[in-house]
Amino acid sequence: MTSSSSAPSDALHARVQAFLAAAILDPARTPEPFDALALDLARFQAAQIPAVARLARARGIDLASATHAADIPAVPCDVFRLTRVAAHPPDEDVAVFHTSGTSQGREARGEHALRTTATYELGARLWGARLLWPDAARLRVIVLAAPLAEQPDSSLGFMLDRFAALLGGGSFHLRDGALDALGVAEAAASARDARSPALVLATSFALVHLLDARRGLDLRLPPGSRVMQTGGFKGRSREVAPDELRAAVSDAFAVPEAQVIGEYGMTELSSQLYETTLAAALGKWPAAEARHGVYAAPPWVRVTAVDPTTLAPLADGDVGLARLVDLANVDSAVAIQTADRVRVLPGSPGNHSIELLGRAPGAPPRGCSIAVDDMLGPP
Amino acid sequence: MRATEARALRVRRAVALGRRIADSADPLGIEARRDLGITSGLSSEGVELALTEHLEVAITDADLEALLAAVEVAPRCHVILAANVCTAALRAIALGLAASSSVTIRHSRRDPGLAPILARELGLTLTDVLAAAPGDALHVYGSDATIAAVRGAAAPGVIVHGHGTGLGIAIISDDADLDAAAQALAADVSPFDQRGCLSPRFALVEGHEDRAAAFAAALDAALRDLGDRVPRGPLDDATRSAIALYGAALDAVGERFAGPQHLVGLDPAPRTLPLPPAARVVHVVPASAASGATLLAPWARFLTTVGGAGRGALLDAINALAPAARRAPLGRMQRPPLDGPVDRRVLERPRC
Repeated sequence: MTSSSSAPSDALHARVQAFLAAAILDPARTPEPFDALALDLARFQAAQIPAVARLARARGIDLASATHAADIPAVPCDVFRLTRVAAHPPDEDVAVFHTSGTSQGREARGEHALRTTATYELGARLWGARLLWPDAARLRVIVLAAPLAEQPDSSLGFMLDRFAALLGGGSFHLRDGALDALGVAEAAASARDARSPALVLATSFALVHLLDARRGLDLRLPPGSRVMQTGGFKGRSREVAPDELRAAVSDAFAVPEAQVIGEYGMTELSSQLYETTLAAALGKWPAAEARHGVYAAPPWVRVTAVDPTTLAPLADGDVGLARLVDLANVDSAVAIQTADRVRVLPGSPGNHSIELLGRAPGAPPRGCSIAVDDMLGPP
Repeated sequence: MRATEARALRVRRAVALGRRIADSADPLGIEARRDLGITSGLSSEGVELALTEHLEVAITDADLEALLAAVEVAPRCHVILAANVCTAALRAIALGLAASSSVTIRHSRRDPGLAPILARELGLTLTDVLAAAPGDALHVYGSDATIAAVRGAAAPGVIVHGHGTGLGIAIISDDADLDAAAQALAADVSPFDQRGCLSPRFALVEGHEDRAAAFAAALDAALRDLGDRVPRGPLDDATRSAIALYGAALDAVGERFAGPQHLVGLDPAPRTLPLPPAARVVHVVPASAASGATLLAPWARFLTTVGGAGRGALLDAINALAPAARRAPLGRMQRPPLDGPVDRRVLERPRC
């Protein structure tokens, strides 16, 4: 038995998948306009998800008559912690991804429930192929994260698992919370022996642990290899500045810095953004737009910087909080409001690039009342 | 003079200074108001409220006895003060004086609060570099990360007492008058613009959604009225942004009641408790004894005080959840007796 939302959800997934397949080839030649599809998603979501409907009412937005994706009320990421943001009932969940833990425990984590992973997987595959492996259909995948079986509720774990399967299989080197540095060295040696380029997929804190533990281990990878790193530290390792970590990773794996690229994603989204230095080095992306710290969104994601205090849209080039319209978020919220500071850069038509600037710098804390940062870190 | 009498005398001298500072006509009171107006981040009315209503200006014999019992005697006592609430230095120094006649203080340069005045008048040493020796007591106020760093750097044998961050919670029992409780809670939220470790950030209203909604509306009115008389200090950009995002989230899950100096968020069907910004922002939810205990369980170790209006099963459940927390009637959460550390969790923590 399926719910009343199943048929419209299926139809929207089909439309979104058609959009993705076309947009990856030519963002200017999609089967329908971005705004029209985004608004249809928002109308469906407002009809099925009380939180989206309440937000629209609070903003005084009539989605029925809206014409621009910018009119869609963006759901703050925190809402995924406070209530269920899903157009379908829980018994139709095929995957529920949770945000990473804090010392508040499991109950306080945000959750993103998916009725199907097909659209998520399509988007991840298409954009990964564009910016992570534009030159190869198969790569040895070395994953510095736990296998999906150990973290079935992690959207990152799900993506890494799918990438590994897609590219011919991979080895996972974080088990029961412990990094297997020797196993990474063995996988690197195997890649060197076979002269087969590798793709390292890693969280930033796992890379720090690897670098701290490598002591004499030979991690060099053969030419053509690359490293994707993602995420922050949240108390799971010492903090390392991005430039410093990238240089150390480049040195350890013998991979040019241009081929060490960052990923920007979050549980509440279904799409990812990447640095484009690898694709640019391979001649697959405009070199002028490629530098570390700048992340390209796929053509099915639109990023707007909004004023941090009014949440009103800002002009491209201004620094504000990232508001993302992600067409792949079919059954949750197509527009997401983050707390991350970005500058949206003018780029190729249909492609948004953002400069990621981290969280807003606050004044140093006053007083002894607890702050959110005090709550970060593993449970 | 017996040692205990000497310790008591030193504490009483600090309290006597508090009385002078609270007095707006006293030269020390004038100096404090001038200094805190520059450094505290509070409005001038907020400084006045802090000094006249929330500074320790008296101590009963029983409280003094309790304070002396709570503090271990040491040959020397060192006090590290973070950018704490502006009146906090008085209690911190009183605790130091209860420990030793030799007290050395390192305060925040950015926000020294009352420390310079108290140190000068009491003849204590202000320093940038503390040199604690084995056997000395070292009281450090600040974030848990700061306390951990100080512990790690302290010489062997130094007895470190960490006074970390925390928060208060308000419980409105099912027999409480909502308007009176709202007035009282507003009086607990506004001091120090909610930046104290006793400041209530959550309000759990026993009963159903409608009762919580009525309380949120009453609290909105009370905070509006109080804000007219005691405006909030200026907000930095990060705090204003955090308030905007919190408000937007509440638009999605419930309701927000926003005033020029405050925000009340109502979540009628809470799944978890998000930490609202510490800037006169209160998160209100309905709760039963069972649901309240579940919601608060992740926060229990941070609770410094439980403020209650009325009596009921919810209040009993929360009190059981946080045995070290102070208990106070609403309206008195920010006026703990001078009977030891303001945060009594410190008394239960292991010392090294």
